[in-house]
Amino acid sequence: MTTAQVTLSSGFSRRYTGGRREFEIEARTLRDVIRALDKMYPGLGDHLEEETTVAIDGAIHDAPGYFQKLRQGSEVFFIPKLEGG
Amino acid sequence: MNDVAPSRYKWVGTRPIRPDGVPKVTGRAMYGADLAYPGTLYGKVVRSPHAHARIRSINTEKAKALPGVKAVITGSDFPNQNFEYIGPERVAVNFWHVTRNVMAREKALYEGHAVAAIAAISKEIAEEAEALIEIDYEVLPHVIDVDDAMKPDAPLLFEDMITRGVEPAPTKPSNVSKRLEFAIGDVAKGFKEADVVIEKEFKTAAVHQAYIEPHATIARVDADGQGEIWASSQGHFVVRALTAKLLNMPVGDLRVTPAEIGGGFGGKTVVYIEPVATLLAKLTGRPVKIVMSRDEVFKASGPTSGSSMKVKIGVKKDGTITAAEGTFKFQAGAFPGSPVMNACLCAFAPYVVENQHTVGYDVVCNRPKSAAYRAPGSPISAFAVESVMDMCAKKIGMDPVAFRLKNAAKVGTPMIYGPKLGHGGYIETLEALQQHPAYKTKLGKNQGRGVASGYWFNGGGESSATVQINADGTILVATGSPDIGGSRASMALMAAETFGVDYKNVRAIVADTASVGYTHVTGGSRVTFATGTAVVDASKKAIDDLRARAAMIWDVDVDGVVWEDGCAKPASSNVGDFKPLSLREIAGKAAATGGPITAAASVNAGGQAPGFASQFCDVEVDPETGKVTILRFVAAQDVGTAIHPSYVEGQIQGGVVQGIGWALHEEYIYNPKGQMDNAGFLDYRCPVASDLPMIEPLLVEVPNPVHPYGAKGVGEVNICPPMAAIANAIDAAIGRRMTELPMSPPKIRAALDHSAD
Repeated sequence: MTTAQVTLSSGFSRRYTGGRREFEIEARTLRDVIRALDKMYPGLGDHLEEETTVAIDGAIHDAPGYFQKLRQGSEVFFIPKLEGG
Repeated sequence: MNDVAPSRYKWVGTRPIRPDGVPKVTGRAMYGADLAYPGTLYGKVVRSPHAHARIRSINTEKAKALPGVKAVITGSDFPNQNFEYIGPERVAVNFWHVTRNVMAREKALYEGHAVAAIAAISKEIAEEAEALIEIDYEVLPHVIDVDDAMKPDAPLLFEDMITRGVEPAPTKPSNVSKRLEFAIGDVAKGFKEADVVIEKEFKTAAVHQAYIEPHATIARVDADGQGEIWASSQGHFVVRALTAKLLNMPVGDLRVTPAEIGGGFGGKTVVYIEPVATLLAKLTGRPVKIVMSRDEVFKASGPTSGSSMKVKIGVKKDGTITAAEGTFKFQAGAFPGSPVMNACLCAFAPYVVENQHTVGYDVVCNRPKSAAYRAPGSPISAFAVESVMDMCAKKIGMDPVAFRLKNAAKVGTPMIYGPKLGHGGYIETLEALQQHPAYKTKLGKNQGRGVASGYWFNGGGESSATVQINADGTILVATGSPDIGGSRASMALMAAETFGVDYKNVRAIVADTASVGYTHVTGGSRVTFATGTAVVDASKKAIDDLRARAAMIWDVDVDGVVWEDGCAKPASSNVGDFKPLSLREIAGKAAATGGPITAAASVNAGGQAPGFASQFCDVEVDPETGKVTILRFVAAQDVGTAIHPSYVEGQIQGGVVQGIGWALHEEYIYNPKGQMDNAGFLDYRCPVASDLPMIEPLLVEVPNPVHPYGAKGVGEVNICPPMAAIANAIDAAIGRRMTELPMSPPKIRAALDHSAD
């Protein structure tokens, strides 16, 4: 299993994780990350899926998808959802 | 027009004639106002003349009794919505607010706010009915300016609004809906390390997207509750979702057909009249059509925010930026939801700045609710940041392009929003300016040159496409993306490239909500990237099917068939001696090989690359009148791969033109009663052709490896640099730092009457 470095935005962590922002999670896909965080903070998974844009190794994905693959040491940032014009 | 690099593609990168051109130039394209059903009623929205007023009562009885009037509705006819912010930060939607923006209830919050609507058999009768509606207003003090709205004694739009994002939560209500804060590093330490620190305050005016086509819709609801909407929008799936939610209808009961659209620029990603027309249609059993006037478009649809900002940047003498800080206060309009978060995130994104801190305030005031406008938020903060960047370069004696190059973000640069930058392209835009022959030319008296850059995230997300192979071998590509920037041409080009067939054999259309899978709005510069990915995926699925059918025709294994140059071919001579089968030949045997050949694909496209733009312009200032003439405008942008270069150039030129208008001319002007005084194109001064030089686009191609053809979003970032580029050029011309938009002749004259900083 690979390990991902996962970071939540400060606003998000304030609301849902008591301020904790950084996590090391064993994960092959983003689904594994969401599942692990939801286990630690029940209900968090839904919030992550609905309310965030995710950056994986710098590449931005508008909406988190279970299928997104991670590599060893992948940096995963959940950031506020973005909208364009 | 500049030539892009020689392409490895046959169709991608070419400039075929646009498929929607003929109906548009012959006047036959069907826009929002062009459809009429038999028996259609005229829908009219009654609007508040007051900037801020409590609605004590509305009596519609006399209007309803007028012969020819079929229905009159007010806010209370819409279902209640819960007060809750659904979704995240910038895009959090509170339907308690949305339904009140569609039609006021307790209060009218801006001039033009809808308070009632009429469906009648003619325009004249609807106007007569409007005069019969009795509305008892208690006129309240209003507030227009963002700084005024933040004052402790400001009139409150919502007496119970407590600022979100402040801990502990304030005990008193205010007009500040939300406070946001982002930081990396240690700005205090960074500023201590600087040799030069420059801090400046800026203000920008609210400006409208000024799309040529006003909002228009026609709705019909049948006796079984099934409804149809025809509307000009940037996203018919979003029109369907919002209308269904606001009217408490099942999504499946609404079918929305996209009309041609005469511009949107972000402003047509929300609904105003669609739920009103649909409710009137439901009540009357007749189709109802509503078309906004230009006056209504200005007063009652969303411009982008005006702002008040403070930016501080510290640099070393060698040009290294050590720290940057920004405070951004944005007008949200009458309901929360300005793009201030984007301003905070994009402000310093083009640069390597270890120590950054941005704070944003979302502030309600008695203006129409702001809506998205091309890279929403980023052009506003870019005006302040890029102006201070210019001041820093000047102070340390560095060329402004060289200064930006020294600090340019690259792959791996930490961004204030958390991750490291995943895609490059910025440096290449600066190098393109540096290498442009006009960059070093000498200028005359009262002339100056200005440089600025911009950053925008670009978008991806959910899109769908279907591909059909017709009996004659031609291909139909259907997507759910309204075509605003040439997407039919670019979708057809990508399909032609994937199939290996001639572009003229591919027809791309925009399908309604019942005919293709969900597709998010045409916005965020997402369509070529996300919908293009769906088109390529669907094309590949169709090719796999075509190979399988060729294998059936040849009685060989499918692995023995390859697809090349628009034909099925044997993978090797071992497979057999078969003549290539064309699309037409395979389509001719469709029935025998399994029926119609179709394929669909839906994607949640991720990994979009952000957009970077760098521009320089030359201006001449008339010291007597204060008029600024743009002499030259050169706009470089990283476009990934230009799928249809002419459309890409058009996007760049369009963004720059809108930026020039924002910089020099455009603003909402309010009278002391809080009413807009310039709600028409004669007085709201958009740039016209005679105001503009040739805008020279420089297409920088740094392909996005995630997209099948390397596409990046190209529609938005081009509007980020112009305001600062022009301000910097004016400073170079006359030695005056303009800090307030628009930089109109009276402001230039006033600046010339004062000594330089």
